[in-house]
Amino acid sequence: MNNPFNLASFRLIFIYTMLLGLSVGLVLMFLYFTTARDLELEADQKIIEKVEDLNNIYLRYREQGLLNYIRSETSRATLDIYRLYDSQNNYIAGNIKSEPNDIKINEDGWIEFSYLVNENGVERIYYGRGRNFITPRRNLRLIVGRVVNDEKILKERFLYGSLWSILIIIFLGIFGGYILSRNFLKRISDINKTSKKIMDGNLQERLPTTKGKDELNQLSSNLNEMLDRLDSLMTNMKEVTDNVAHDLRTPLNRIRTNLEVTLMSSPDIDQYRKSFEDALEETDNLIKTFNSILSISKVESGTSDLDKKPLSLKELILNMHDLYEPIAESHGIKLNYEINEDIIINGNYNLLSQALANLIENAINYGCSNNNPSINVGAKKNENLVSIWVSDNGIGIQEIDKDKVLERFVRLDTSRSLKGSGLGLNLASSAVKFHEGSLKLIDAKPSGLIVLIEIPLEF
Amino acid sequence: MHILLIEDDNETASYLIKGLKESGHVVDRASDGKEGLFMALDSNFDALIVDRMLPELDGLSLISRIREKNSDIPIIILSALGEVDERVKGLKHGADDYLAKPFSFSELLARLDAVIRRNQHESSNSLLELGDLKLDLLSRRVEREGKIIDLQPREYKLLEFLLRRPNQVVTRTMLLEGVWEYHFDPQTNVIDVHISRLRSKIDKPFKGKQMLFTERGAGYALRYDE
Repeated sequence: MNNPFNLASFRLIFIYTMLLGLSVGLVLMFLYFTTARDLELEADQKIIEKVEDLNNIYLRYREQGLLNYIRSETSRATLDIYRLYDSQNNYIAGNIKSEPNDIKINEDGWIEFSYLVNENGVERIYYGRGRNFITPRRNLRLIVGRVVNDEKILKERFLYGSLWSILIIIFLGIFGGYILSRNFLKRISDINKTSKKIMDGNLQERLPTTKGKDELNQLSSNLNEMLDRLDSLMTNMKEVTDNVAHDLRTPLNRIRTNLEVTLMSSPDIDQYRKSFEDALEETDNLIKTFNSILSISKVESGTSDLDKKPLSLKELILNMHDLYEPIAESHGIKLNYEINEDIIINGNYNLLSQALANLIENAINYGCSNNNPSINVGAKKNENLVSIWVSDNGIGIQEIDKDKVLERFVRLDTSRSLKGSGLGLNLASSAVKFHEGSLKLIDAKPSGLIVLIEIPLEF
Repeated sequence: MHILLIEDDNETASYLIKGLKESGHVVDRASDGKEGLFMALDSNFDALIVDRMLPELDGLSLISRIREKNSDIPIIILSALGEVDERVKGLKHGADDYLAKPFSFSELLARLDAVIRRNQHESSNSLLELGDLKLDLLSRRVEREGKIIDLQPREYKLLEFLLRRPNQVVTRTMLLEGVWEYHFDPQTNVIDVHISRLRSKIDKPFKGKQMLFTERGAGYALRYDE
């Protein structure tokens, strides 16, 4: 894994570079054929025309005319090549003095050759291309052609240039790919190292992220978020276990002691009955608490398959009012509802009902101690937020206790004279979180508590 | 009543059998799904109590198989999976009722009673009657001793629920589910207050005997003793 050449990304870059080199080669070839080759063909065409001219001159003026023409042509500087031989292949006239070497004759009659030119005492090789022109009586042979030094050089430069540019492209591509892959590999190996640490139990470790927004960074931050989520689930789980350990032990112990002591005392049917009834009641409460813990963690973990459906808040609140109005009245409390228009939200009816039920029960049990106690349950829609509230005019909750009461098993009534598990508000808050909302505890004026739930409207 | 209990846990089964016998039922027991299915199809029972998770053949499949045979025998499912969606699943497979473990035995008895009787006489009569208490489903009129009783909508619904189960114990949870359609347990005794309100309307003003009884540790029952 430490060799960048093994990386998929590097292989990709390699293939890509090769393809790029190939296409550059093709483009250059195309350029060559459309420009350089055209010029060459044009020059060839001129030579062919010249051969025809010479043929005409010969037909009209014979050998002497040809000779004169060549002499006049070669008397001035020209890129054209003339070299005239007699029937014995002896040089007669022309503008190249040395005998052509490396003569290659193509199938279509073209000859290519090199020859030496003495330039200020230095011998230089020139290259030529042309055709043989032989008089009909076969007494004269003429090489007509042109100097192709520049063309040859151009061709060579073109070829070398192309080769070099392709090589450079490939080199840069592979080198760049190597560097990029090595960089990539470094980040992957950082992620690997961190994951290893996390696997070894170092759960607080997080993957390194940079400011960029590339895929690797996104992957890292997604994994980090996942780890955070798992971490909070684990903490949640741990809390549940701790809570179970602390708060279920006490009632279990009560049941146990009760039964044990009853068995120790002399058999008495009434005493037995009383103990059994007590034990039964304790067990029922335990089951309730247990169920509450389970449903809270199920709702909080987000793994439950609780579904959300469109529901009418008005109906929900009216039904709640209907259920709790009699018991509130029996406590001398007036339970009112405040809802004008119907509000449809996407939610879980049972869960929201339970949350509201818990809040109303809290208000009935703790929130009403003054002369004219009343509880209001209501809902209102503001733009894309729905507010649901349960308010009372009781003693309220001290500012410092507000965060505490949302925790599990917290009961401000330390004497615990009233029944309850201390889970009501916690369950309500989980239910609200399930609906992506928030639950706030606000002081009412002049006294009392408002539990305000705000849920975003989403459809 | 002859009841088939399909439960793999021996201890649970023995308690349930003891309790059911105590309440006057005759009980047979199967300890796995296959045996249960065989017994259920072979003999004639009045009701089935089926554990959700069973060896050999799981509780839900067992119920589906029984329903395939076109049997409408009342079935109660017992399950350690208490969530609402699990409950819906159970009912969809053809169970008549669903009880989450741990449950109170009186709850099981009340529900068993309810499913058996529901099966016996699904009344199509528009007049529900018990003693001198009458409820007309069409005119929504309630009267006792010939006097009209004025009920709130919810009180009416509560009374209708009780009148459909005359002389039967109905638990608080059954009322909460049947009348209010809630599937959670409130921490306070909300139902008790509703019952006592209803009682003050159908019992207190009348010379006749008390009809709406509180069954200690179980729930309520609407009774009429001759």
